[in-house]
Parts: sequence; C-alpha cells; structure tokens
Amino acid sequence: MRSTKQSVVVAGLAIAGLALGACGGGTGAGTAPGGTAGGTAEEAKTIKLVAAEYSKDHTKAFWDAFAKTYHEKTGYTLEVQVVSWDNIDQQSSTMIQNNQAPDILNLNAYASYAKDGLLYDSDAVLPAVVKDDILDTFVKYGTYQGKFYGFPDLSSARAFFYNKTLFQQAGIAAPPKTWTELEADAKKITALGGGKVGYALPLGPEEAQGEFSMWLFNNGGDWKTDGNWVINSDKNVATLDFLKKLADEKVTQNNPARTNRADAFDLFKSGTAGMVIGFSPLAADLDKDKKVDYAVAPFPSNDGTESKTFGVTDYLMAFKKPGNEKAVKAFYNLYYTPDQVNTFIKAEGFLPVTKSGVAYFSNEKALQVYLNTLPNAKLTPTDDPTWDKVKLAVQQNLGGAMNGSPKATLDGLQRTAESGG
Amino acid sequence: MSDSTTVSPDPAPVAGSGDRRSRMPSRAGRRRRAGRIGQVHPLVALLWLAPALALILGVVLYPAIKLFDASRGEYSITGLRKGDAGWDNYVKVLEHPDLGTVLRNTVVWVVAVVAITIVLSLALAQFLVKSFPGRRFVRWAVIIPWAASLVITSQLFVLLYDYNYGIINHILLSLHVIGTPIDFLGDDSWTMFSMVVVGVFVSLPFTIFVFIAGLGAIPDDVMEAATVDGASPWQRYWNITLPLMRPALMIATVLNVIYVFNSFPIIYTLNDRNPGYLHDTTITFMYKLAFKSQEHDVGMSAAAGIFNVLLILVVVGIYLKIINWREETSR
Repeated sequence: MRSTKQSVVVAGLAIAGLALGACGGGTGAGTAPGGTAGGTAEEAKTIKLVAAEYSKDHTKAFWDAFAKTYHEKTGYTLEVQVVSWDNIDQQSSTMIQNNQAPDILNLNAYASYAKDGLLYDSDAVLPAVVKDDILDTFVKYGTYQGKFYGFPDLSSARAFFYNKTLFQQAGIAAPPKTWTELEADAKKITALGGGKVGYALPLGPEEAQGEFSMWLFNNGGDWKTDGNWVINSDKNVATLDFLKKLADEKVTQNNPARTNRADAFDLFKSGTAGMVIGFSPLAADLDKDKKVDYAVAPFPSNDGTESKTFGVTDYLMAFKKPGNEKAVKAFYNLYYTPDQVNTFIKAEGFLPVTKSGVAYFSNEKALQVYLNTLPNAKLTPTDDPTWDKVKLAVQQNLGGAMNGSPKATLDGLQRTAESGG
Repeated sequence: MSDSTTVSPDPAPVAGSGDRRSRMPSRAGRRRRAGRIGQVHPLVALLWLAPALALILGVVLYPAIKLFDASRGEYSITGLRKGDAGWDNYVKVLEHPDLGTVLRNTVVWVVAVVAITIVLSLALAQFLVKSFPGRRFVRWAVIIPWAASLVITSQLFVLLYDYNYGIINHILLSLHVIGTPIDFLGDDSWTMFSMVVVGVFVSLPFTIFVFIAGLGAIPDDVMEAATVDGASPWQRYWNITLPLMRPALMIATVLNVIYVFNSFPIIYTLNDRNPGYLHDTTITFMYKLAFKSQEHDVGMSAAAGIFNVLLILVVVGIYLKIINWREETSR
C-alpha cells in the first residue's frame, strides 16, 4: 500500500509538471504578441517587428542596431524577428490565423491586409513629413482605396545586364536598343558555341511576374489600365509570343519555363549567359566575384522608344492593435530618418524610397542607371488585393506558355484576375 | 487470439477473469500476472497513464481538432478567418482540376519508392550480414543518408542533376552515353524518375537495417537442416529466408509507405522549378494550396490535410488487413 501511495505522489507530480509545462507553453505563446494587445487602451511599451531577410550579413545586424537606437531614443522596446523570404508568407499567414499578428510586418504585398482591415493607414502612424518625403510612385502604389497603407522599406529597379566579353567575341558593338536587335544579338552569342546562352530567360515560379513585367512594359503593355485587367491584351500576347519565339529558336537557356531567377543569375555569373535582366544585388555579386566583365544598360523596348523600368518595392505595414499606435508611429519616425533608411538600403544594395534618399545616393556612380529611372518606374498593380492572387497564378502558369499557347495562358490569367483571384 | 489481445490492456475485466484463467498453462499465466496491475485502484492506474494520455491529447488530438476546425473555416489570403465555410473547402479540394494528377503522382511515388527500396534493401542486407573485412565501415556508410537532413540531401541532388553544371550530365556526356544533357528536373518525363531515385536513396538505410535485424533472427539450425536436405541456395532463400522475414518485411513496408507518403522535402526541393501541380503529391499539393498557389487558402489546405490523414489511414488499414488475412490462412 505504501508503494501505491508513493506512486500516486509520483504520478501526481508528473501530471502537475506536464500541466505546468503546457501552461508555460500556452502563456508563452500568448504573451509574445499579447504584451501589446493586452488592455483596450493601455499603451504598448513593446512592439514586435517581423522582418524579411534580404541578406544573411546585413539584415539582422541592421535591425538589432535599429532596435537599440529605437529603445534609447523613444523608450519603447522593439522585438525583432528576422524570417527568410522562403518562409515569411507562411509565417505571417500563420500568425494572423492565430490572432498573433506582429505590430509591423515587412513583406512584398500589403493590399490584401489593407482589404481585411488589419492595417493602420498613414494618417494614424506615419508622420506627415515622412509621407511627403516618400517618392510619389511608391505612394501611388501603396495606396488602397484612397488611403496610404503600404509604406515602402526599400526598392529595386530592373535593368539590362550584358556580358561585354561575349558581346565582343560575337562582334556586337553596342547593347541592343530594340527587341529585333536583342534577338539578333542572342543568336550571335548562342552561335559562339560551347553551351553559351544568348539571353537567360527565367519564367519559373520564383519570379515569372517580374521577368514578364519588364518585357510587357517595354512593349507598351500593362497588367491593368484604368482600373481594368488587360492581361490578355494584344500587346501582352505579342510579348509572350516573342518570348516563346526566343525559346523556340533556342537562343535562351534550356527550358526557360522551368528556370528560376536564381538559376538565370547563376548562368550570367558564370559567364555562360550573354544577357539577363538583373538588379543591383546581382551587380554587387558580380563585383565581388570579378569573374564577368559586364555592363548595365536600359532594357530595350520593342520599337526602340524610351525604355521603361520595372520597379519593385517591399513594405513595412503596421497592424492595428490596441494601444500600439504611438510606439508604431515612433518606429516609422525613426526608420525614415536618412541615417537609418539609407544605411539599411546601402548595406543591402537596394535603391532608396525617399526623395532625400535619391539625393543621398545621387553620387553613387554604379546606381546612376537605376536612380534615373526610379521616379518613373512602373510597378505591378500591388495596390489591388486581387494582384496578390494573380501574381501567384502568373508564377504557377506563365511558363506553361512555352510549351503551349501564349494566348490561352494569358486568357486563363485574365479570367483569374476578373473573377477576383 | 484476437479476443484476448483486445481484452488484456483493459485492467478491470482481466483482474476479474484472472481466477477463471488460473488453470491455463504458461501463456494465460503470464497474462494473469499482468492482470494484477488491475488490483491497484483504477484511479491510480489512470494517474500512471496520465502523462502518456496528456501527450496524446496535446500532440495528436488537439492539433487534429484544430485542423478540422480550420478546414471548416473561410480564410482570407492573409490568413484572417472570415467566417464558417461549412463543407465548402472539402468540395473545392475534390473539384480541384489537378486533383487527379496529384493522386496519380502520389500512387506512383509511393509504390515506386517503396517497392524499389524493399527489393534493393533485401539484396543489400543479404550482403551486409556476410562478414568481410571492413564491414563495419560499410555499414556506417550506409547510415549516412539517413543521418543527413532530407533538405540537404535533396539540395545535393539538385546540384548533381543540374542541366548545365550537374556532375551526372557531365559524366554521361564525357562517356558519350548521351549527346545533349538531360534535364532531369525540368523535363516532365524525367522529373518523377529523378525524385524516386532520391526517395529510394534516403529510404534504403532504415530498410536495410530492419532487414539485417530480420536476417539475424533466422535460426542457423533451420538453414543447416535445409542444406543437409539438399536445398539449393535459391530454394533456401525462397522457402526459408523470405517466409521468416515476413515480420521485418511487414514493418519495413508499412513504415516506409507512411514515411514516403508523408515525404515533403524531396518533392518540394526537387520540384520547385516546375510550375503548377504536374509532379506534386498530396503532401506538397496541400502545402502549395496554403502558401504558393493562386488559391492561397488555409481552409482548403486544411481540408486537403484531412483527406491526407484519411488516405494514409485507409492505406495502412488495407495493408494490415491483407497481412492479417495471410497470417490466419497460413496457419
């Protein structure tokens, strides 16, 4: 009987331990964001930032230093969680699903969040001077239903990269100005043999919408005009037909429909590909490797008219949570000081989002080609929540046109867009 | 047989029937001793079971309930729950145009990987039970694919398979087996084959070791007797080794079916360049529904998850049934 009593005690302790453990886990998970969401009007002293990892070396270092400055200057505490791009969609979705949204989220989309009524607009949390400083293009694409929700953290613009050595070997004097020239140049480079690739065309799921945007903007096309989806417009079909023609003529790398952007960059970095659409981080890698003698030029347009640049910006959006308004406003106030935002952008090798930033970077020679085009850059319709789904549909389906019909592919995407994704 | 096994874990009835069975020989006697646990107050027994029960509740039941709950919800693309969806998510999954492709891929993937793994492992295990110099090192080497993370292994194979720089294409080209490189991961006729190779590669270690254990359990005297009776090596293998290996075969098959069915990293990593669902199995299909596809719908993905659980339960159930039936008829 004594042993039974002992066993009861042990079992009881075990259960108590388990229960405590479970509670610990529960409250732990609950308070992480709950520290801010606690009372109804109680002011939050700690806010949480979920940031995307642009680079292993710089992103975490910057945000940690930023959190320190933020605490010193404002008295609020900033919890920083850096998440890789591969995971951030999944993580943010899970957080919101579990009612544990961060206070500030760094992502490449915002409109769906604004549509769901989760975000603060600029009137609530963005100091007026800051709003005035942000480039008009980005304010335009960050505005959903008349309110500015998508505050840009940094931007990039695409440009045309070509391998000078291969151009010389193929006897090409200058970068192409039209698509006809581009096609001819690609043929010449491919004809060099040895597995050389004229133009590296990535239409795989990673960034198909980026590659296609650059091409269609330079054929006078667009995703959306005057509030209507025009994905299957004649111009866009002609654009995709042209890309298919390049693939069929085998002047691109093998299987463009199944090539991701990173793989296309690798081809260019190894000196195999003659031309590719790149952006400043690719330039940084090339400069570090010093293997390829390259140059950057505006992307050729179909008919030789002025080149248009495809711009991309990511967002720092603010989630509505009781009492966090002041701390969040203090966050933006600090982030957009030239010292902070430009340091971040410079370290990551991207482009500025503010007028003061454009002035700050204007003496950087390597960035000239992008900076000149940046204020007029065209973006994908990120201000439309439907785009968040259309983008995914483009990534999953555009490559199919290489083995099928470009018209049918774009018709399908148009239907997806019109039915709201 | 099946009656007594189902009764014994339940302490109370066994304690009651203990006396009645006391005259039964050895087997029942063992059961009677086990029955004494029931003499402890049931509440105490429950206390002892509590940690395990708590774990099952917390790790299995609670997530299952949450999954079911999610599958009945309507979610925005952001992950925000907008309301109840009833059975809509289930209908949407069943009506998904690519479901047929995905199911076919799943069957091909599981059957091919498990069958090839079992056949190869039987041969390799036979080889590894023989003693030869350096056997220990070979056995260690066999474990390595098991010890490495699946994502790392998959990424390694992506590099091996690469169209432009991959070593496999390089070797085949320099041996003049092929004239142009093979696009192992981008060419639709090769993708599944390439994934199955990796699947087999990572499933081999576990299966081989199960079989080594199985072979070790076969008594030498049976073999000797067969040899004395003049059985050929093939006859000995077919009529003695294989039948005695049946438990090991069953364990290896069931566990491998479950592992391979649930395998995510291999397919996800090797297939990430391919758009759509052309080479996805139900597991990666579920993930893409939630986070990568144009649906981007947590609720639909949860419904697909429920189907996954049911599917694997059915498969395992059918398999166990077959095994059971064979055992009963063979006696």
